[in-house]
Amino acid sequence: MRVVIAEDNALLREGMVLLLNSAGHEVVAVASSGPEVLPALLEHRPDAAVLDVRMPPGFRDEGLRAALAARREIPGLPVLVLSQYVEETYATELLADGAGGLGYLLKDRVGRVEEFLDALERVVAGGTALDPEVVKELMTRRRDDPVDALTPREREVLHLMAEGRDNATIARTLVVSERAVSKHIGNVFAKLGLPPSDSGHRRVLAVLAYLNKG
Amino acid sequence: MRETVWRAGRASVELLRGAGISLASYLFIGVAVFAAVAMLTVVGAGVLPESVLLVRKTAGYKRRWVGAWTGEPVPEAYQPLNGEVFARVRTAVGDPGTYRDLRWLGAHAVYGWLLACCAMPVWVIGLMVDGVWCGLLKQRAVVLPLIERLVDLDAAWSRALLLPSPEALRTARLAERVAELSETRAGAVAAHGAELRRIERDLHDGTQARLVALSMRVGLARRAYDKDPDAAHKLLEDAQDQAEEALTELRHVVRGIHPPILTDRGLVGAVRALAAGSGLQVSVDDDGVEDGPRAPAAVEAAAYFVIAEALTNAAKHSGAERASVELVRRKDRLRVAVRDEGRGGADPAGGSGLLGMRRRVAALDGTVEMTSPAGGPTLIEVELPCVW
Repeated sequence: MRVVIAEDNALLREGMVLLLNSAGHEVVAVASSGPEVLPALLEHRPDAAVLDVRMPPGFRDEGLRAALAARREIPGLPVLVLSQYVEETYATELLADGAGGLGYLLKDRVGRVEEFLDALERVVAGGTALDPEVVKELMTRRRDDPVDALTPREREVLHLMAEGRDNATIARTLVVSERAVSKHIGNVFAKLGLPPSDSGHRRVLAVLAYLNKG
Repeated sequence: MRETVWRAGRASVELLRGAGISLASYLFIGVAVFAAVAMLTVVGAGVLPESVLLVRKTAGYKRRWVGAWTGEPVPEAYQPLNGEVFARVRTAVGDPGTYRDLRWLGAHAVYGWLLACCAMPVWVIGLMVDGVWCGLLKQRAVVLPLIERLVDLDAAWSRALLLPSPEALRTARLAERVAELSETRAGAVAAHGAELRRIERDLHDGTQARLVALSMRVGLARRAYDKDPDAAHKLLEDAQDQAEEALTELRHVVRGIHPPILTDRGLVGAVRALAAGSGLQVSVDDDGVEDGPRAPAAVEAAAYFVIAEALTNAAKHSGAERASVELVRRKDRLRVAVRDEGRGGADPAGGSGLLGMRRRVAALDGTVEMTSPAGGPTLIEVELPCVW
């Protein structure tokens, strides 16, 4: 796939190019500051954009703003946002448009190359990749009865669903059959009082909306 | 009539007190003269500052008395008498307050007991006239209230004489402020030192140690690479775990120093994020804090940590469903108020979180006030001085 990267740190930028190339992806453009991002995306129309949140000139949340702007300009553009730290608020802002093809991960996750590439592919396929840290924050906050009523296994399933994993991945991660996962998911949705949903982006949004209600 | 007599009686007691001071004044004047003479003999120099202190105490007593009688406090302004003997003597002699006190002492020695003497005939005449006028004819007493006027007179004269010059007052206020600032600055330096040590310890014991362990595993993996690929694989996996943990710890340390979201979004944005993540329904009223220049980073961080702590406590202990955060930009300060409609009864002194909050705010010369009556609501108000 063709990817545009936005990252101001040269070390990380090179690493990212190396990583993507090694997986057979092509890095078509590299932006090293906030204002460069949108023109690069408009020019190259890549399959995916991998953006760092904090970039010059302000070293604030330029990357995040660029991601939001890019999604407005190029609807449905798969965007993977990386950051040195994660904020629930940012996740909410990124997911606000309701469209799929969105990822928000800690930079640390890049180290787990396979998982990172998997997340990128998920995003390109229109799915979601939400960092476990964000999900953890959401889960610990929502400590009311319905979530308490879940079994530990069901909580794990809910966690993985919120991260944007599909049933097959959940089954693999938890070392159970896909049918078992489907059953767990059915139970989770019933206990939380959510209408059953397919395994796409809509399901992630439903789960997140539930957790976010606070 | 009884009321009138009672009031006149009370006023007379005040006058007698004044007379007492004025009689004591003779003694003080004596001591002052003695001290002044003794100073000439150098040996007696130590007596002078002490007698000035004694006069200050007397004047202070009278000031409080005037303040209590008129309901309007009389400010005090002296140069502090400390240091070695000659510095004290110099201050005692140089302080204009000393001469003001002496002037009052001299004047009061006369009018203090004179007013008390005046009260005596007033009593005699008053009891007769008002006894008939007020006691029998039920009219307003006219003579006995004059005693209160005598006390008023004493208070008015004393105030005029004891009021420090505006300049002295300003100097005293400045001196007070300097003392206060020195204290808070010392506190700030200490807090800063403690903070640096904490960060150093966190980095040293946590992140650095992890990186060493990581490097070690990578080294071992390289050695094992050819002979035992499985072992090398396991070592590399461990190394990656260590790297991730080091990163997690670093993030934690960074958050403790200065939450990154403050940099990204400013105080209001960061507080809104806190509110959204608190698990409570929190309304944030920022009253234009975002317009214009930002507060200094330390002030923003302190405000952020205070609000985070307050909201955490509200979510954990108060049982409240909703809370409100108010940020107000004042001319020379930032005001933060966090209020929850919970059950209240929080101990203002207790809790390490609250203590940390107080320390952080005090380091910036700010104030924390907390009210939490049983049954709620709990209100935490913080003021942080800052230049915008």
